[in-house]
Amino acid sequence: MKNKGIKIKKSDFGFLSSLFAVFVGLLFGFIILLCSNASQAVPGFLTILTGALTHGNKGAGQVFYYATPIILTGLSVGFAFKTGLFNIGATGQFIAGSFAAVVVGLTLPSLGAVHWTVALLASAAAGAVWGAVPGILKAFFNVNEVISSIMMNYIGLYAVNFTVKGSKTLFDSLRNQSLPLPESSHIPKMGLNLLFPDSSVNGGIFIAVLAALVIYIILNKTTFGFELKAVGFNRNASKYAGINEKKSIILSMVIAGALAGMAGGLLYLAGSGKHIEVVDVLPAEGFTGISVALLGLSNPLGIVLAGLFIAHITSGGFYLQLFEFSTEIIDIIVAVIIYFSAFSLIIRLLFSKISKGRGEVKNHE
Amino acid sequence: MDYIIEMLGITKEFPGIIANDNVNLQVKKGEIHALLGENGAGKSTLMSVLFGLYQPEKGCIKLKGREVKITGPLYANELGIGMVHQHFKLVHNFTVLQNIVLGMETVRGGFLQMKEAREKILALSEKYNLAVDPDAFISDITVGMQQRVEILKMLYRDNEILILDEPTAVLTPQEIEELMHVMRGLAKEGKSIIFITHKLNEIKAVADRCTVLRRGKCIDTVSVPETDKETLSEMMVGRKVNLLLDKKEAKPAEAVLQVSDLTVRAKHEGHTRDIVKKVSFTVRKGEIVCIAGIDGNGQSELIHAITGLSHTDSGRVIINGVDMTQKSVRFKNTHGLSHIPEDRHKYGLVLDYSLAENLVLQEYFEPGFQNKGFIRFEKVKEHGKRLIEEFDIRSGQGVNTLTRSMSGGNQQKVIVAREIARNPELLIAVQPTRGLDVGAIEFIHNQIVKQRDNGCAVLLVSLELDEVMNLSDRILVIYEGEITADLNPKEITVQELGLYMSGSKKGVVNKHEE
Amino acid sequence: MKKKLIGAEFCVGLAASLLVGCGSKEETGTEDTATEETTEETTEETTEAEEPAAEESADGYELALVTDIGTIDDKSFNQGAWEGVVQYAEENGITRKYYQPAEKTTDSYVETIELAIEGGAKLVVCPGYLFEEAIYLVQDEYPDIKFILLDGEPHNADYSEYKTGDNVMPILYQEDEAGYLAGYAAVKDGYTKLGFMGGMAVPAVIRYGYGYLQGAEAAAKEMGLDSVEVMYHYTGGFDATPEAQALAASWYEAGTEVIFGCGGGVGNSVMAAAEPASKAVIGVDVDQSPESAAVITSAMKQLSVSVYDGISDFYAGSFKGGETTVFNAANDGVGLPMESSKFKIFTQEDYDAAYEALVSGSVTLINDTTLTTDDLGLSIVKVTVVE
Repeated sequence: MKNKGIKIKKSDFGFLSSLFAVFVGLLFGFIILLCSNASQAVPGFLTILTGALTHGNKGAGQVFYYATPIILTGLSVGFAFKTGLFNIGATGQFIAGSFAAVVVGLTLPSLGAVHWTVALLASAAAGAVWGAVPGILKAFFNVNEVISSIMMNYIGLYAVNFTVKGSKTLFDSLRNQSLPLPESSHIPKMGLNLLFPDSSVNGGIFIAVLAALVIYIILNKTTFGFELKAVGFNRNASKYAGINEKKSIILSMVIAGALAGMAGGLLYLAGSGKHIEVVDVLPAEGFTGISVALLGLSNPLGIVLAGLFIAHITSGGFYLQLFEFSTEIIDIIVAVIIYFSAFSLIIRLLFSKISKGRGEVKNHE
Repeated sequence: MDYIIEMLGITKEFPGIIANDNVNLQVKKGEIHALLGENGAGKSTLMSVLFGLYQPEKGCIKLKGREVKITGPLYANELGIGMVHQHFKLVHNFTVLQNIVLGMETVRGGFLQMKEAREKILALSEKYNLAVDPDAFISDITVGMQQRVEILKMLYRDNEILILDEPTAVLTPQEIEELMHVMRGLAKEGKSIIFITHKLNEIKAVADRCTVLRRGKCIDTVSVPETDKETLSEMMVGRKVNLLLDKKEAKPAEAVLQVSDLTVRAKHEGHTRDIVKKVSFTVRKGEIVCIAGIDGNGQSELIHAITGLSHTDSGRVIINGVDMTQKSVRFKNTHGLSHIPEDRHKYGLVLDYSLAENLVLQEYFEPGFQNKGFIRFEKVKEHGKRLIEEFDIRSGQGVNTLTRSMSGGNQQKVIVAREIARNPELLIAVQPTRGLDVGAIEFIHNQIVKQRDNGCAVLLVSLELDEVMNLSDRILVIYEGEITADLNPKEITVQELGLYMSGSKKGVVNKHEE
Repeated sequence: MKKKLIGAEFCVGLAASLLVGCGSKEETGTEDTATEETTEETTEETTEAEEPAAEESADGYELALVTDIGTIDDKSFNQGAWEGVVQYAEENGITRKYYQPAEKTTDSYVETIELAIEGGAKLVVCPGYLFEEAIYLVQDEYPDIKFILLDGEPHNADYSEYKTGDNVMPILYQEDEAGYLAGYAAVKDGYTKLGFMGGMAVPAVIRYGYGYLQGAEAAAKEMGLDSVEVMYHYTGGFDATPEAQALAASWYEAGTEVIFGCGGGVGNSVMAAAEPASKAVIGVDVDQSPESAAVITSAMKQLSVSVYDGISDFYAGSFKGGETTVFNAANDGVGLPMESSKFKIFTQEDYDAAYEALVSGSVTLINDTTLTTDDLGLSIVKVTVVE
């Protein structure tokens, strides 16, 4: 869009490199399947590829359901990355968002029809606050956001555990988790239950895709995005150009945080029976977001595809249980795909180096 | 005729371009041979061929009359060819000694033998007048010192042919002086030096012979003492270049920039130091005022304080009668200030943005370029195309070129174009021609003069004495954070100015002039 | 590793290490941590276990177990229940398989149960109360499929309706009886300074604790002791924490001789404190003697036994659906592992007598979890509740 010449070629190449990663990852997955049980490797592999689809609309619905939170955490990481920040704290923002959603869900059922909307907004706000802290530290004290946001992950985890456990209105002491949310706080199905009966899918997937679109527009079409990216590429030059670079960094983190927080909100408000468990374990969605962003090359639309893909093979892996494989196989395959998506970045770098070399020579004229 | 190294009929092609077209380069033993050419003329490619980084399509390289095939830098080193790159290749958290020895360590029984290395290095540094502290960390020493380390690295490897790629680009005038001295010493000891540059003064000062490249072709090899600067520059650029700026008398009018008692304090590791000390001066409409000084005497801090990039501790900056001391960069940018920053990569450009985007870096928010927060890319590109044409910015893909892929001269042109296109009332230009070739320098100087003639107040900061003398209407000398002299360029010589800059002479400064 | 795993399979009868009710779930960890470590093991185990049944896979797997979010070798409910399944299946040549849900939600449990049914399951074992809602939802939809639910009873999301279908066999345990036996044996064996360190104060843990106190009281009365001191504390979580370990160490320091570590990782903290002090620990849920030399006995739930019995009944055509089965001393559902216990004085005869008293009903326990320790009618046992 921006550059008609080499740039499009480059992004094409990025897409190809992601495809390559997926291909090699799947190949390795197949080899692993072969090693663990050769006789069922082929049908097993086909199940991974088509798993969600062989189970009809419900399976497809589950893919959308699983994809929803990781698209948003992926967006969170990818957006921050585009603006020069490595938001490894999507996990903490996700936790903060989940917590806010659950609190609003449990305490304000009187809101009625707008209950879920308020809960979702609260989750975005909580995530934003959680993202703002490393942003502020980075902007004013030049604290590396990687470190501060990792710390925010743990602060979020333990603070939420502590609060949930200590609150009678939130805590289900019999189960060591938060109480179930009332119906009014569930994200409406938005007609998806008709398309995908019996599945957990809900309007959240629309919200996630919408968020991706909004992020795409912000980054590529607006002056705001122009500033954020400029600061990401070169903080000094942005300052020189009169951009309030501190504000930009904070806002980047706030938006990234809001996205991750919303991921938490959408998952816990999905009405699938998810609870905040009082355990000392970071939820996986935040880190999966890094993988999604990597595979999607931080491009909002790429992230949607990457999120759907990872959800698809994850759900294919679930159905792989019909064969004599354990679900861990699918974790290995996903890990391999991510591994190779990093590998493909190297290849891409190599290619861009070559094409850059050419570019430089051209400038010799 | 005994040549130590000969490159004959070298042709190196890259897809779509011939970087070297049948180039000949013959270097005698013990001479300083300059390789002159504009940016992109093919100097670096030729040297990369000599250093074994590229294999030429045609031509051969002869070492002492014997044909050799240089397969890579390691083999080049073995043959006695060493190179100091424009950007030094040093390990910053290693000491000088460690850096020099790196890759050539003497090991006995698995243990490093540093003693001999130290002795050899000390002997070399004595012999060639290259003072270094072997135990200092690279990160702690000056750029000039780092260059000496690079040269010592070559000498330590007993290299006979030394390639220096634009060695003066990063040095202060004093350091350049020293380097010239060292080069002469090396040549006297029988080393052969290939000196890549586009600065005519330096060639005249130090080189014996000079080979000129233009657009990949070898123009000629001439004897330097028998050729004048004008001829050299004409050979390089391919047309007559006016080395002396054609400039009319300045007609200064009312004050645009008034700086009074400006102080910038550095807070560093617990103790504070005034980097800029109560500086006061005025720049008027229609004049070019130059702040001359040796690098590191507070110029950067002073400019940063004026432009708003960093804080001021006390004093005032008044632009067009408005006190802007505490105003934001954005406010200054939109109220008549343009700034060509000293470091185009650090401050001047977002290298990962396209040419068009960089050209609106301070204006993207103006109504012409945006609508309700959405950037109007078609307008941005139009603007870009206009400036590209107007300022003759050359790039691969026009407005869509990634700035990173452009040559330094063209990158600088982007900045100059952008700053001048905003019709500033005050133009601050810091080392606007650093690292540029003669053609580009001429262009930028003309642009600055044109701005002055259009009624703009220009504040120039430069380390190059020629530039200072040529361009300015008034010279303010800065020494250790203070303005120590207010000079008229027509009344002093370069030598005198040098004395002021080195602090050995002080002048009268009229602090509150009108 | 392989050898050990195969070994483990043959030792099914020996109830492996399970932890206290709800607490156990913590141990199962997450996909992230647990999965990576156990991937290899599980894969191997799966192939190992399925090999004899491979050719029958076309017809699917008759016996299925759906794990709660942890893996099959979680030393807890999943593993204990699975061992019961495997034992019955091996003895009778029946195919079996376990399934793992994609995430810890009711929807996902339902989905996984449906996957197991798709895989040919006739009986699905669901270890843990987390399946209460899921079973509530599926029991009517699959009337031909039988379900065994451990440690819970089916109900809807907000607990407003409890319903157990004819095809569902919920199993509950009387933890107070297991606790009673542990407390009784400890005092009989000569310990007079006891400790109880529970996890979270959930009913299962409270019942263990109250049983423990009443057992100590009963033994003290029989022996004519003047006083037995018991330190009593709930840590509020099921994790091994430095705080729990420090508290246990301070109790041992102050003279406590044996602590009943009742709640997942809390037990591990107590063991870690006991080992350097050369003091004793009572384990919980499963025989924890392999975990530490300090464990003198364990208050056990016979998870695999109850699963095994449930499956036997199913194949015998007498599936006990529709009502909750309580496992207690009367049906060998709880007890102490006397073979591995390290008692000095307390004998098998003493144990049998105490066990018999529970079975016959001559001893009745107060197990109302709404009461406090003061309401247990203790006279000799002095309880010091540490908040």
